[in-house]
Amino acid sequence: MDLRDKLKDVIRERGLAMTLQESEKLAGYVGRMPTPLELHLFDTMWSEHCSYKSSKPVLAQLPTQASNVVVGPGEDAGIVRFCTCDGVDWDLVVAHESHNHPSQVLPVEGAATGIGGIVRDVYCMGANVTGSLDLLRFGNPTGVSGERARAICRGVIEGIWKYGNALGVPNLGGDTRFHEGYDDNCLVNVVALGFVRHDRIAHSFVPEEAHTEKYVLILAGKSTDDTGFGGATFASADLSDLTEKGAVQVADPFLKRVLSEANRTVLDMLFEKEIPFGFKDLGAGGIACVTSELAAHGGLGIHVDLDEVLVSIQGLPPEVIACAETQERYGLAIPESIAEEVLEIYNKSFELPRLFPGGGASIIGRFTKDPVYRVIHRGIEVACAPVNCITEGIVYNREWKSSPIPLIEPDSRPVDPPSDLKKMLLSPDGASRSPIWSYYDSEVQGTTHFRPGEADACVTVPIKGCKAGLAVSGDGNPWYGQLEPFLAGAHAVGEAVRNVVATGAVPIAATDCLNYGNPEKPDVFWQFRQGVEGIAHACRNLGLESEGEHPLPIVSGNVSFYNQSSSGGSIPPSPIVAVFGRIDDFTRATDLSLKTPGNIIILIGPREDELGGSLYYRSCLEHSGGKVPLFRGELEYEMARFVLDCAEAGISQSVHDISEGGLALAAVEMALATRKDARRGVILEKGFADPVILYSETPGYLIEMSPEDWEGISAKPDFAAIVGKVTDDFSISSDIWKLELSEVLEEYTTLLDRIIWREEL
Amino acid sequence: MKNRPLVAVLQFPGSNCEYETASVVRESGMDSLIFRWNQWKELSDSAPDAFILPGGFAFQDRVRAGTVAAKEEIMDLVFNQAQSGKPVLGICNGAQILVESGLVPGWENGRIESALAANHIHGRSGYLSRWVFLRAKKRALRVSPWLGMIGNSAIPVPIAHAEGRFVFAEEDLHRVSKCAALVYCDENGVETADYPVNPNGSFMNLAGIMNKEGNVLALMPHPERAFWMWQIPPWVPGVWGDRRTSLNHDPALAVEKGPGELFFRSLAGYFGLLSREEV
Repeated sequence: MDLRDKLKDVIRERGLAMTLQESEKLAGYVGRMPTPLELHLFDTMWSEHCSYKSSKPVLAQLPTQASNVVVGPGEDAGIVRFCTCDGVDWDLVVAHESHNHPSQVLPVEGAATGIGGIVRDVYCMGANVTGSLDLLRFGNPTGVSGERARAICRGVIEGIWKYGNALGVPNLGGDTRFHEGYDDNCLVNVVALGFVRHDRIAHSFVPEEAHTEKYVLILAGKSTDDTGFGGATFASADLSDLTEKGAVQVADPFLKRVLSEANRTVLDMLFEKEIPFGFKDLGAGGIACVTSELAAHGGLGIHVDLDEVLVSIQGLPPEVIACAETQERYGLAIPESIAEEVLEIYNKSFELPRLFPGGGASIIGRFTKDPVYRVIHRGIEVACAPVNCITEGIVYNREWKSSPIPLIEPDSRPVDPPSDLKKMLLSPDGASRSPIWSYYDSEVQGTTHFRPGEADACVTVPIKGCKAGLAVSGDGNPWYGQLEPFLAGAHAVGEAVRNVVATGAVPIAATDCLNYGNPEKPDVFWQFRQGVEGIAHACRNLGLESEGEHPLPIVSGNVSFYNQSSSGGSIPPSPIVAVFGRIDDFTRATDLSLKTPGNIIILIGPREDELGGSLYYRSCLEHSGGKVPLFRGELEYEMARFVLDCAEAGISQSVHDISEGGLALAAVEMALATRKDARRGVILEKGFADPVILYSETPGYLIEMSPEDWEGISAKPDFAAIVGKVTDDFSISSDIWKLELSEVLEEYTTLLDRIIWREEL
Repeated sequence: MKNRPLVAVLQFPGSNCEYETASVVRESGMDSLIFRWNQWKELSDSAPDAFILPGGFAFQDRVRAGTVAAKEEIMDLVFNQAQSGKPVLGICNGAQILVESGLVPGWENGRIESALAANHIHGRSGYLSRWVFLRAKKRALRVSPWLGMIGNSAIPVPIAHAEGRFVFAEEDLHRVSKCAALVYCDENGVETADYPVNPNGSFMNLAGIMNKEGNVLALMPHPERAFWMWQIPPWVPGVWGDRRTSLNHDPALAVEKGPGELFFRSLAGYFGLLSREEV
């Protein structure tokens, strides 16, 4: 049998995702028939999830550099400068990833390990993790597959609270959307953020010193088992059958918390002693990836002994020990001379072997000058490859075909504001998210200033003794994605920026997760390209921190392809973006609740007739088509600048961005957020019964300020105008209509609880 | 020589509120150190003046929240110190540990007399994060070192737990009121057993219970998360809401103390650290 046939057979027998050509490329690297371990290692490294082989050429257009960027995309997380406090420079560390496929198959475990993986990415840069967000897309909870959509939604949220709350990382919200396009393939995107001293960033490669001093690799954490074997490959396949549950990892937040404490102690000790080290979490590809990457990216080889790996199941084949994705493990490259002391911290001070039977820390490898990746199991060499092939990577230039959707407007647009607003407020997309947030611990660590729902973005005060506040928001509108993939990308950035700006914070960095169908389909690949172009375009326009000199940098992210059902239907193009902002003095941060009767409401951003994909069309007219709002980069920048200026002057008393439901719904939400013993409402200017003015989702903001402060603004921009005033009546009205908000409050607050958890349909 | 009283914050495997808890103790004019579960000797040698068991998920809530941690050797030390009258506070998971150790209510030695059962809310199960109001019981105000400065009005604090419902054995129900320290109420101080005023179905609306002597307090809500005014949500009603609203965009928001601070100031007062005016 020739090599080609052997490779064909082994790909089939082992269920590998790599193509025959890829396996031949591997055979060329090693100069023989690859071993099972080599096949599984490269199957993971060359999976779409790890290699970005389809997306890399397109992603190159994203702006990733700006003057504040410390570490751009490439390592486990991105880093930007944040603030200086008492002479110490603090950097913000951010990471963003998807855990879509596992969450569809096993929602609780899938969502839990999603958080587990993303926080490890931030921890392993040496940071303390101070927040996480979940950006969730579920199927239509009241549609044909509603029962499954609701069960998945419940499971995902259970996974998030069971894992995230125990971990002690505050949940800073995120967003949740429902769309029948996710009936067969939910999206669970997760963001984690943290802070690290600028002089104490850890890197995921063995340091330069290992060329002259003996370095070893310590594996610390949970004992290795067979869970998650083939996880990255699984993430890169479609969900045609659901028998692959073995590929979903099992999370353990309890061990993670203890392990994080132990890591902190170890890293602090290494920094105090000025000992250079490499540090990386174990994710896709398990031990195989962490050992090969730590070595290869440091220009060294490594000799790994699988018999030294602490396992919880005996008799596992070497490729399973090496490639399983058992959670809660880290790899640490340190000088041999300090190894005993480090093992002591993990195994004695923090008692990992007692707390997790079979777990702990052990030396499993030694770095070598010989640039070869070598793995030994029971005295036999089970892998031997030159390290440079590990860093080389793989690229495909996918075909694409422009496939725009015809824009169809509804025949007529009747308007009855009280009834329209009720329909929007009491729809799954318009209703309060508080039933979801009530499961999350948003206040652990004691740094939270605005919780989810209190302002357009969560605001925390993450660094003790420092007044700098962090604002964060994540967004992405599937209805726009379905109609106009370019604008979906641009508005995902635009809306997240507006949410951050509304609180008074200046956007300093962004991350993206690009969720699409099968990239081998030219129309899907076109959607992907459009989304990336949209994001890049918006980022180039919204470099607010550098006053337009640099773009808003994308510093981390992830691509998730093959989000589709067995019938081949792709999800709506779903670029999801998180934006991070800084407010120098958090006491100036602004929430969205209306404050003082007699104040006026300023509309920022003239309304345009562009209601395509709007909540009004969907909820009131049952129409999902139409022309999506344009992204007007310069105007968007100028509006944000004005809102930030008002915040700095201290004259904005409440601010809310205009998005789903338009101006009218934004005003209602500002009223619904008021204190129950100080209710407020809004009277809009006369004659407002026009769907464009009330419901158009043209980007913009509403700002509450006193009439005197408004008068005091000498140069009023032409995109700003008075649209209403604040009253002490809990209602929204114009001269010809009125909606009492007490009529809807209870239903609005409990709608998701009733639909998703109580199944009251 | 010790200048300031030392408050030990215990870290069990799975605790996750130890840092912010130690921090607010220091902000209240006392020293605070975190001791790991196996630092029995260090804890003993430093002879703390008070102990706090912080929130979290000690030992993964294995068996039942607090059960495993209550059996750790380090708890023998806490137990003895509590018996000798040192102030002990358990917050959330810490409260669960105190109950499982038999320190509260502590009617009879060596007996576990209460449990923190799963929240009981119609149509909802699992974890609940929410701001609630608390009011201290009269006797507790007098005898507890943690409550001296609380006063009679309702104070807002957050809860975050899945198992926070105090329950007792049938034969003990007649004496439960004696251990009542704090109850859930509305912003006007009015008690009702209905959700969400009583957020978990707790017996007699109990949010915190104490031992006979009053030095040990098991408290489900998190005062360390309401220590500063800026931690209070903008929508909180009542007197504390008024104070929070009046501080909007005021630099004083960064330094003004919130309702949760009263617990720690009470302890400072107990140690004689407050001036006459402050008391």
